[in-house]
Amino acid sequence: MNIRSTSITLIALSAMPLYAMGADTADPGSDTQRFSFGGFGTLGVVHSSESEADFSATIFQPNGAGHTHSWSADVDSEIGAQLSANITPKLLAVLQVIAEQNQDNSYKPHVEWLNLKYQITPDLTVRIGRSVLSTFLFSDTVVVGYTFPWVRPPIEVYSLLPITNTDGVDISDRLNIGDFTNTLQGHYGKSDSERPHGGGTVYSMDSFGFTNTTEYHSFTLRISYQSARQTIAALDSSFDAFRDFGPQGIAIANKYDSDNKSAVTEVIGATYDPGRWFVISEWGHTKTNAFLGENTAWYVTGGYRARTFTPYVTYAQETAASNFDRGLTVTGLPPVPAGIAAGLNAGLNTLLKSIPAQKTVSVGLRWDFMKNLDLKLQFDHTRLGADSYGTLINIQPGFRPGGTVNLTSATVDFVF
Amino acid sequence: MTAIGLTFGLGISAVSAEVIVVVSSKSPATTLSRNQVLDIFLGKRTRLPDGSSVVPIDQNEGAAARGEFYVRFAGMSPAQVKAFWAKIIFTGRGQPPIAVATSLEVKKLLLANPNAIGYIDQTMMDSTLRVVLAP
Repeated sequence: MNIRSTSITLIALSAMPLYAMGADTADPGSDTQRFSFGGFGTLGVVHSSESEADFSATIFQPNGAGHTHSWSADVDSEIGAQLSANITPKLLAVLQVIAEQNQDNSYKPHVEWLNLKYQITPDLTVRIGRSVLSTFLFSDTVVVGYTFPWVRPPIEVYSLLPITNTDGVDISDRLNIGDFTNTLQGHYGKSDSERPHGGGTVYSMDSFGFTNTTEYHSFTLRISYQSARQTIAALDSSFDAFRDFGPQGIAIANKYDSDNKSAVTEVIGATYDPGRWFVISEWGHTKTNAFLGENTAWYVTGGYRARTFTPYVTYAQETAASNFDRGLTVTGLPPVPAGIAAGLNAGLNTLLKSIPAQKTVSVGLRWDFMKNLDLKLQFDHTRLGADSYGTLINIQPGFRPGGTVNLTSATVDFVF
Repeated sequence: MTAIGLTFGLGISAVSAEVIVVVSSKSPATTLSRNQVLDIFLGKRTRLPDGSSVVPIDQNEGAAARGEFYVRFAGMSPAQVKAFWAKIIFTGRGQPPIAVATSLEVKKLLLANPNAIGYIDQTMMDSTLRVVLAP
């Protein structure tokens, strides 16, 4: 566990220059809150019943709960700080720094966002720099546990696109028509994210997309589209061996290698939250023309607020278009090439099993026990697809696919 | 659902006096819907229906009128309002409205700025102000 490095990070972050919020003396419309500083964090532990694999919150974590640790504090724990500066009334600079478990198992803080936002009109803004990739309903604050009911947003949908930020430009336009508020945001940029265990860097080029959010009274609807050309150069060589096997092998290598391949994600999400209770649902589809494959996922969550307690239930499922490929035809090959071909086929199918297919039922409770603090308990029961490792990582030789996994999680979230 | 039920259900202990939404009598605003007022305070709307700009004046966290305003008009507990703004702030999309300590300070700011809108304890109402929304 990495409790020690988490606390070191806490100390490091608290040593950052701290600009006090403007006092309560502001005149409306004036610019007295020049700097604002805020922070957020989560301390959590999670236990997994599957000891032959690790449960992690994203594919960018090197390990998690189950095999590496019975109880892991790394999966959900994180801390972030955000500094905003109004350079002029229309120009805002935002810096957000986050410390969480990195792909190299360190907690070295990284810059999640660093951007300049210019307000052309009160409703029309343009932003340049590193900004959030707001594909899902809760993408914008996926690291701020305090802003959502669950311990973590349902992994079935949120793992469809694990990249959280992009370097580039985005434009947002808001329109009020009667009681409707519509916000259309479009962006263009690029990103790179390093995967653990030498899994290579995921380069996303020509990343563009839009997110349209419509709000009407207690109802919110979000539709988003995200497209990029993805390259994971480190893994391309693993498919090159197929190219020695003639046209069939070349076709397989071209189908699965990740060299400048299109990756498209479409999401529709809605929430209805009249106050005492709420329903949240999202549907998403992602297709990469590479070994990451094609997935469809959705979830629905219902919750009820009773004083400071918010119990909730979630059903989520993710299906993979395919977790299997017949690969090279082995029959008819001489013994040595046949052995190599069988080995390549086995390797390919192991890789395809890591395309998630699973179903999860979750029950949980959020307790707002103090101002700016919540405590959450969540239990997840997951059934893995017959040919899939689900979202699990670090698969061990003793792992049997198609089984069930129980997760028990407890987190404390805070904002300041 | 009754207001008492809501207040009880959301864990607000102190029941305060009625809160009304007001502007300066010099403001172009006459009446606003509950949804329009919420959009202004939740940062989703920066203009009145006639197109003129509007600036919300909030009250500090913990002020009785604030708890009453958000429970009564939005059905939101203090923790829900906090979570809502955490979501906006930590997306770099905006900041919550300027907040002051008392209904009296809200009134001072409204009189100084005809574009401002606030909520006050009903007992503070007088002819310098105009009610745009009452419970």
